[in-house]
Amino acid sequence: MASSVASKRLFQEYRTITNDPPEGITAGPVTEDDIYVWEALIQGPEGTPFEGGIFPAELKFPKDYPLAPPTMRFTCDMWHPNVYPNGMVCISILHAPGDDPNHYEHASERWSPIQSVEKILISVMSMLAEPNDESPANVDAARMWRERRSDYEKMVRDNVRKGLGL
Amino acid sequence: MDSISEVSDPTDWLPTPLPLLAPVDSALRCQVCKDFYETPMITSCSHTFCSLCIRKCLSSDGRCPACREQDQASKLRRNWAIQEVVESFKTARPQVLDVAKRRENEEDGSPVQIKGRKRKWQDVGGEREDAEGARKAARQTRSQSRKATTSAISQDIVILDSEGDDDYDPSGEAEDYPQPGDGLVPCPVCGARMKEEAVWLHIERCDGNPPKKLSEARSITPQISASRHNRPPQPNLIPRLPQLNYSLLKDGALKKKFDDLGIPNWGSRELLIRRHTEWVNLYNSNADSSTPKSNRELLRELDLWERSQGGRAPARDALSKKKDFDGKAWMEGNKSQFDELIREARKKRQVPSKKEGQKEETANDAERSPNMPSALPGQLALSSTKKMPMFAMPSEPIRDGDGIEDSTQ
Ligand SMILES: [Zn+2]
Ligand SMILES: [Zn+2]
Ligand SMILES: [Zn+2]
Repeated sequence: MASSVASKRLFQEYRTITNDPPEGITAGPVTEDDIYVWEALIQGPEGTPFEGGIFPAELKFPKDYPLAPPTMRFTCDMWHPNVYPNGMVCISILHAPGDDPNHYEHASERWSPIQSVEKILISVMSMLAEPNDESPANVDAARMWRERRSDYEKMVRDNVRKGLGL
Repeated sequence: MDSISEVSDPTDWLPTPLPLLAPVDSALRCQVCKDFYETPMITSCSHTFCSLCIRKCLSSDGRCPACREQDQASKLRRNWAIQEVVESFKTARPQVLDVAKRRENEEDGSPVQIKGRKRKWQDVGGEREDAEGARKAARQTRSQSRKATTSAISQDIVILDSEGDDDYDPSGEAEDYPQPGDGLVPCPVCGARMKEEAVWLHIERCDGNPPKKLSEARSITPQISASRHNRPPQPNLIPRLPQLNYSLLKDGALKKKFDDLGIPNWGSRELLIRRHTEWVNLYNSNADSSTPKSNRELLRELDLWERSQGGRAPARDALSKKKDFDGKAWMEGNKSQFDELIREARKKRQVPSKKEGQKEETANDAERSPNMPSALPGQLALSSTKKMPMFAMPSEPIRDGDGIEDSTQ
């Protein structure tokens, strides 16, 4: 083994996701000499206010990946109940069982070494479509989503347009 | 894992005439490292992983990574059957892949069909803007059969780009091969080449096997792995190392253990504990192996682990150092994916859905002046170029041959 387990596995995942990318998702290392930092682009799910948008995010992998999960941060404006104002994504698959701040989450939804970048990004895509109201990372966005849905959707659509430079 | 440069992937089969081997390839891989099983071990819950992978998982949280059942390293058992399957598959794989690829390539160069494999989120009816396709004059046929594959892997494969493609099968069900310009057409089921009139007759009785000599299949001497059956993997007699109860060991006693084991004893207590755990996993998984490595080799792996933890040496692992890594092709592939994604988004955005409200539509309409299409992608591509230097290799001119990116240079 000429390389660490983590980098080897990331390399493998990169290859898989490049050869056969899931619908509306692209991801890969930001630079060719550091496999531990990736950039991903997620297409806004159809039938949601995110539709038509492309949302860039940064994934950072720990040295003991895949034992521990990566972190994921949107690098664009993202108004969503489960995304912190600084862009950090807070969903169960990014938390290892045991260090999950949201105790109600099932262990089966959480990080495990058999998960993958692809599964994370697919989960995040469906998170865009269906926010989890119970564990808001952005309290204001959650309240707006709950109480003033049309304002929330307009805000999201405005961000989509901004992101596309329209 | 004979060498790091050997990075194979189940998706390697998708563009070949044998996409059904992708799930086979995938089933022979450990879900933790995504590589072929190395010294596969079965857990109490009957899940299988590489010895080292499952040992690391268990020492991390004591649970099976697949089902979360609690388990202990001492309960792991070897899975010889999987090991034999994996090794014979790994041996056969390069040859099969080679034959599958050659079947495409040897018939390359025909202008008859230009098709491409694309992700299904691309607009089928849309304008063709595939830069790669434009660059390659004669692109090979890589259409895939959808009906046969049930796994998720195949779901993204669609037959597209029927431009100038007279014998395109509108059902999308046929699997076909490049045209060598011999006036013959392939049977969509078995791939055998014959006169066009003959195909329809043949198809009705085709059982998937080419009727006669299929040249390559015959010319390859099958790898006989019978000898393997005579020598099944033998358990070696290396004893396993016990885990230590670190909380009971004072620093001095801990370091003494390290000296006994012959592993480095420098560093903080926390690092010592992590190093010991790593060593026990490396050592015991080696003891599980039917072809164990020397102690020296294991110490070298411990040292590599040490470096990857960000301790003494740079922790970066350069992709480009991997010998067989076709960096340029990958980067280009990735780049065009990003570009396509952005282009797609832009296209969709220019035709906003009705439900999004009139206000936006009018705003868009006002902006959608004739020069819109060139102005807009420029901005987008620019931001993505800046953020993703990976999409150009150092020795290559950045983003050549693509009009959209040129506007950003
Ligand atoms: Zn493994
Ligand atoms: Zn299990
Ligand atoms: Zn037996």
